[in-house]
Amino acid sequence: MDMEPAIQAFATESSELLEQVENSLLELETNPDDSERVNELFRAFHTIKGSSGMFGFSKVESFTHGVESLLGKVREGSQELNEDLISLFLSCRDHISMLVGNALDGNEELEQEQVQAGDVLSAQVNAHLSGSIAVSDELVAEDGKTSSGKDTQSQVETEVDGVAAAHWHISLRFQPDALRNGMDPLSFLRYLEHLGEITGLKVVDTTMPDPAEMDPESCYLGFEIAFDSESDREAIEEVFDFVQDDCDIRILPPHASLSAYRELVEQVPESEQQMAVLLVELGSICQTEAEQLFKSPGNLEPAADTATEAAAQTSVSTAKQQKPGKDTAPVSKSKQSAAQPTTASVRVDAAKLEALINQVGELVINGAGIEEHAHRIGDNALLESMEIMSRLVEDIRDTSLGLRMVQIGDTFNRFRRVVRELSKEIGKQIELCITGGDAELDKSVVEKLTDPLTHLVRNAIDHGIETSEARIAAGKPEKGTVTLNAYHDSGSIVIEISDDGGGLSKENILAKAQERGLIDSAKGLSDQDIFHLIFEPGFSTAEHITNLSGRGVGMDVVRRNIEALRGQVEVESSAGQGSVFRIRLPLTLAIIDGFQVRVGDARYVIPLDMVDECVELPREKWDMLQESDYIELRQQVLPLLRLSNLFGGNASIDSRPDIVVVRYAGQVVGLVVDQLLGEHQTVIKPLGAIFQNLRGISGATILGSGEVAMIIDVPELVLKVMNRGKPQVREMASVSEQLH
Amino acid sequence: MSKTILVVDDSAAIRSVVGIALRGDGYEVIEAENGQDALSKLNGQKISMIICDVNMPQMDGITFVKEMKKLPNYKFTPVCMLTTESEQGKMDEGKAAGAKAWIVKPFQPPKLLQAVKMLAQ
Repeated sequence: MDMEPAIQAFATESSELLEQVENSLLELETNPDDSERVNELFRAFHTIKGSSGMFGFSKVESFTHGVESLLGKVREGSQELNEDLISLFLSCRDHISMLVGNALDGNEELEQEQVQAGDVLSAQVNAHLSGSIAVSDELVAEDGKTSSGKDTQSQVETEVDGVAAAHWHISLRFQPDALRNGMDPLSFLRYLEHLGEITGLKVVDTTMPDPAEMDPESCYLGFEIAFDSESDREAIEEVFDFVQDDCDIRILPPHASLSAYRELVEQVPESEQQMAVLLVELGSICQTEAEQLFKSPGNLEPAADTATEAAAQTSVSTAKQQKPGKDTAPVSKSKQSAAQPTTASVRVDAAKLEALINQVGELVINGAGIEEHAHRIGDNALLESMEIMSRLVEDIRDTSLGLRMVQIGDTFNRFRRVVRELSKEIGKQIELCITGGDAELDKSVVEKLTDPLTHLVRNAIDHGIETSEARIAAGKPEKGTVTLNAYHDSGSIVIEISDDGGGLSKENILAKAQERGLIDSAKGLSDQDIFHLIFEPGFSTAEHITNLSGRGVGMDVVRRNIEALRGQVEVESSAGQGSVFRIRLPLTLAIIDGFQVRVGDARYVIPLDMVDECVELPREKWDMLQESDYIELRQQVLPLLRLSNLFGGNASIDSRPDIVVVRYAGQVVGLVVDQLLGEHQTVIKPLGAIFQNLRGISGATILGSGEVAMIIDVPELVLKVMNRGKPQVREMASVSEQLH
Repeated sequence: MSKTILVVDDSAAIRSVVGIALRGDGYEVIEAENGQDALSKLNGQKISMIICDVNMPQMDGITFVKEMKKLPNYKFTPVCMLTTESEQGKMDEGKAAGAKAWIVKPFQPPKLLQAVKMLAQ
């Protein structure tokens, strides 16, 4: 009996349920008496337990059983659902998610640290079940932390006899010259295997420079190794005898003290956060130990946040692993909100979707070819059929592009957890407000948005919202609000991250920008220009890097991520009122409705969504066109851009010039072209790497006649016009970038 | 003609497992997500047997069995309830409503098939 489809169903179902669990829990936090939610929660755990049992995933089943029982008590009303309990359920949810993932990978054996984490959670659940909550409450009180008592239990253990891990921990950092001196890191690792078993190994490549600067003969690698062995320290040290001069070696025995680990972390060049994630992943220290380890007051990163961080980290790495072509659609997410009982979804391999969209693209191109022929032949019946065909093709195009679309609400909802935890850590009261969650965009885009969004949300919480005292002093409500919003706007989707905090400080930005040599003086810079300085490479300081998520992400990386998606990010801010970060992304990536124009001998396509109107110039205004860069259109100034000048085609002087008015981000620009050719379905073919730096062109398309037409990058052109005659902040920055 | 079995469970995974097991043995399988859904899927056709979960949203298994027994066509259709050990108390309620058999989750497909062979009309 082939159980594969059933297992697939289980994978989809459990991920949908776990997502629903998280949403329900967060919902219950604000509204603990919602009994329907509790029922829903109970059912979700119940279903996971039941179906995991069917597949023999006993670890999932037995762990979920306890959680379900505890929820049963909540449902009966014999257990109050308080904040601590919700935290506990959230941790349990994460643990179940991990267990399910492991089980689906066919990997029933857990790492020691995971087993331990599970035991601690189970113990907590059991404590609640047997009514001995008072004890753990005491422990929590002692600890002075609001998080669940799980921390404290193992804390007691670890203070007695060092970390729980029973393996050696070896930390290696090879010097750049190691390879040149004939040392091969791999051979040492192989030899190490003679003494015991390498149970975990993480490669540390933080010193790896950009590919362009990398010297293939230098060694940039380091390793963190969990090593299970009976051998003594001397024997292990001997392994690395030969490489002593070319490598920094640090060896920690089993059950080493936390202070030994702290020393290790301080000695290596990596940040505390990176090391925390590595050590926890290797199982050398467990989550609670990591929290203890990094609890030092000077630490900017709230230590307990490493849990979410680690989770985020893993999701990032999986996202990276997915190559566009063979990306095996990750377990599909429920499109509807958690309140809806069931979602009927079908898992489809992303590669198949990709193929379908490509085929539809070909269909569109060939359809256009046939249409041209049909018009030439002029047969009425043929034209009529053609008409119907085109409409059908258009429908197919929309439907198949729609297959890849997901609502952004799911992504937004994930931030509720981030906000909840982060605001707790830093002691600010923050509410997350989500609107426009039903706006849809391409799944591949959504995946790449998580990082920049996380960064902006964390920024808003960290820097945007003031402390409660400051807020009260400023006459604002004590609770800060971070808002996530999404909406469609002329062919783009706009995502806003706003906060009602103190706003960006112009003075601070200017001072910092001058200090870093990004600008010479503030002269001629508008507020907008000043705010945009924060996106410049080199603006983010070192303190930002350790502070925010420990991934070395600065605002310039946010901007780069967004621009890689052909989008833009802008910022608006007013002192004392808060800031708005606005991400603007193109709606689809594959096929668009285009407006075809002719300039000289060449044809161009302008995305139709961005076209406002077409204007024919009366003859008496031709002269004006020759002389200036703008005309007057209905009492408004319309800046002009002559495509023939821009793209260097030979302008046909005798033809009547037409103006296509395009709009982007509220700005209107007139493009002067030689002829309007009308609407045209456009399959975007990306340009090759050679044309990477081509400005003003976003891609190419094949016309029905087989000719190639360039697709005009309207945002780029609008920006170009807007920046005419302004100090070129961006250009200056790129110069300074090159200097560094 | 092959016998038709209605499987009612809110878990797609369980429905899938049961479906695979039954179809592999030559039965026709109709799936429903909850009691309400199941009632709407009965619509007069001949059903040899019903396999039904207890805890479901919208309409639970016990209510479903009670409702179903009110319909003349299905008064005598055998019902096998699927349950977890935590729902022992529900058993009597289900029996009172007219369920003939119980299978405790997790179960092995052969056990399910055995019950189906015994009950399906």
